[in-house]
Amino acid sequence: MNNYDIYLVGVGGQGVLTIGEIIMVAAFQKGHSVNFYPTKGMAQRGGFVKAQLRISRDPAGAGIPEKGADLVISTEVSETLKAVRFIKPGGDVVLLAYVSAPTDVMIGKAPYPTLEAVAEQVRRAGARLTVIAPDSLPSFEGAPVPDNIFTLGAAVAHTRLGELLDPASVETTVRTRWKRGIERNLFALSAGLQSTP
Amino acid sequence: MTTKLMTGNEALAWGAVHAGVKVVTGYPGTPSTGALTSLLKMKPPGVYVEWSVNEKVALEVAAGAAWAGQRALCTMKMSGLNVCYDSLISVAYSGVLGGLVVYVADDPGVNAGMPEQDSRGFAIMADLPMLEPASADEIYRLTQTAFGLSQDSRSPVFIRLVTANADAFAPVDLNDDPPAWPEREAVLTHDIERFTKAGAAICTAQHRDLIARLEQAGRWIADAGLNTLTLGKQGGLGVVAAGITTAYLTEGFETAARYGFVPEDSSVLQIKAVHPFPVAEAQALLRRCGTILVLEELEPHLETGFYVEAQRQGLSPTIVGKLNGQFSRLGEYGVRQVVEGLGAALGLSLPHDLFAGSDEAETMAAARPITVCAGCPHRGTFMAINAAVRKAGFKKNQVMVTGDIGCTILGMNPPFNAVWTEVAMGAALGLAEGYVHAGVESPVIATVGDSTFYHAGIPALINAVQHQVPVTLIIMDNGWTSMTGMQVDPGTSEDYQQPGDRPLDLAKIVPALGVEQFWVVDPFRVDDMAQTLKAALELPGVKVLLARQECVMPASRRGDRAGHTTVIDENCNLCRLCINLTGCPAITLGEAAIEIDSSLCYGCGLCAATCNRDAIRVEATEEVVG
Ligand code: SF4
Ligand code: SF4
Repeated sequence: MNNYDIYLVGVGGQGVLTIGEIIMVAAFQKGHSVNFYPTKGMAQRGGFVKAQLRISRDPAGAGIPEKGADLVISTEVSETLKAVRFIKPGGDVVLLAYVSAPTDVMIGKAPYPTLEAVAEQVRRAGARLTVIAPDSLPSFEGAPVPDNIFTLGAAVAHTRLGELLDPASVETTVRTRWKRGIERNLFALSAGLQSTP
Repeated sequence: MTTKLMTGNEALAWGAVHAGVKVVTGYPGTPSTGALTSLLKMKPPGVYVEWSVNEKVALEVAAGAAWAGQRALCTMKMSGLNVCYDSLISVAYSGVLGGLVVYVADDPGVNAGMPEQDSRGFAIMADLPMLEPASADEIYRLTQTAFGLSQDSRSPVFIRLVTANADAFAPVDLNDDPPAWPEREAVLTHDIERFTKAGAAICTAQHRDLIARLEQAGRWIADAGLNTLTLGKQGGLGVVAAGITTAYLTEGFETAARYGFVPEDSSVLQIKAVHPFPVAEAQALLRRCGTILVLEELEPHLETGFYVEAQRQGLSPTIVGKLNGQFSRLGEYGVRQVVEGLGAALGLSLPHDLFAGSDEAETMAAARPITVCAGCPHRGTFMAINAAVRKAGFKKNQVMVTGDIGCTILGMNPPFNAVWTEVAMGAALGLAEGYVHAGVESPVIATVGDSTFYHAGIPALINAVQHQVPVTLIIMDNGWTSMTGMQVDPGTSEDYQQPGDRPLDLAKIVPALGVEQFWVVDPFRVDDMAQTLKAALELPGVKVLLARQECVMPASRRGDRAGHTTVIDENCNLCRLCINLTGCPAITLGEAAIEIDSSLCYGCGLCAATCNRDAIRVEATEEVVG
């Protein structure tokens, strides 16, 4: 049924769910059926968040099966690992490579995976990895660009998501989402679209 | 008709409004919260909406409205159904005059914590019809159906969602021109035969009526065609799917077709009314098929029904489900269960790793225990508990600290490791009393949040006072029902209450319950609070501390801050004491000194108080603190 399934992971407060919502709205407006299932856990910041976004011809159930996700978008290095089971061989992983170290990691009591180890797991799952280094992001009027919107742009530019959604429709969605700060978000989107993988 | 993207919860809210609901009550609980939240935002004219103090009261308010002839909706998560069940059974015996729809959300797969219970069992025990839509659009339509069914069968009706459709966004075809519901007058019906339980004659008659109403509801459901049966080849496979699992059939059939499954040969029964059991459809399916695949999450309720019907028909089909070991009673179901079930029922040869991704990766992920927000007042309380226990001369493992439901439970996680138990709303104090009676001689502490205390904690405090149990209760009063996303509770400031509502004050309630040893403390002043708590632990009788500071989420949304922090880099020797003791997410280790993320920091000052080198300074914002 021509599903395009996106699995999103990150930690609370990073705006990874916003990426999912924008893709959902843009895909819906292009006439696709969508189902977006965010799991934010608790009200607090800093916890694990995930979301499952299914874009399809006919309405689909919310859950993406293991090895079913065409695209994984992650905004935290370690959290990427929780999505590996869901990667479809031949799929894409776009990783905004932030490290959000839990307290035990920070004080040296617990290990944290290296980016190389995460990349290796993604490779073994048979997916193509695009890494966005957080310190490589451009700034807009002196402030860092919204990194989640940059990541969205990069995903549209470098994965099959771009065959489903053209940049213009994503731009329209971004434009209608916020009342303030539209300029910096549009700048972030176009920078992401023009980024080199 | 307008197609809009919305969550199942919001679709349910729209369904209720378009069905002419007049009174809506509920108590927050993930994943059900969004329905009532949507209604509070929508403010539909003429509809009364409230967060009630607990689910039992919520159900009683809704039932009263339905007995007065109106349409009422009551919303809760599965744990809340347990709370209100006493009243609900009685109301079920009496039936309703208007319409009463009870929305309960289960959480297969445990996305939010708490037991993975299957509330369909409650519908069976209460002899109440239960509808189970799958998609958001079905939720919108079946909610309206539920009101019609309730009104026509004079029975409360359950509508059950699960996390995967309650909180998921999907398109809904909203009716642009919903029926205009005329204003109905409230009616008063004096009928003790129906509305009391006075004596065996009345109760037995009501029980008979209850059973008759369920049968009537079954006929109504059949006439409305809520459960759909499509018959395939004689002797082919029968597939039964209920609620959310129906959403995966098309996709699962397409996948299985790649391995030799022929969808046209199979008969399919899609069940949207899970109770009463669809006997006629089940019989037709059993006559047609020798093998039946039953897809339902959690407990094998429908599957058991098929065994019973087969026995009554003298048939012995092969039933593929949980009872033959094919499926688990745990977790969410999806495409995988459909395909693997078809594979097992038909002997298809599926690749063994069709859905099995590697789980090695996940084991390498850093553990991420949830902690309270930066600036959360509960952090101060957990730190004060640990300090007071130490000051009173005990080790941590000698002092029982019972926990309750909500953000206050996060004290069980590092770095505090302060709270030992989590049972149910308001359960901390009763549990603590039990430890005392068991003979625990060291102090016993109970912790509870404000909303939880209002919800079900007050009776336990009355019990402790009456029986003079030596126990210390800390009420962590942050003014909100926080963990479910900041709902207004009875103590929330007047600014946020509904027009005409009036907040209550725990500082007046606790002494009025007969508590003589009572202190109001500020959890941001850990040393003072620890001192007071230590003194309390050493006193006999019932002691209550009311730890008061607002939840930072609403406070920071208003732009409030308790203060501003500055790190004095040259004083910091990276000893990590502040991180070890507070675990505050705003603090990270820098190269030469700790760093504080000013966008997260609330300026509570807790970290500054832990530092003995004067490396963190806090300047209080006058209006907020004190
Ligand atoms: S939501 Fe409020 S109560 Fe819960 S952890 Fe955050 S600040 Fe504390
Ligand atoms: S003052 Fe310290 S403990 Fe409080 S929020 Fe800021 S960094 Fe966290």
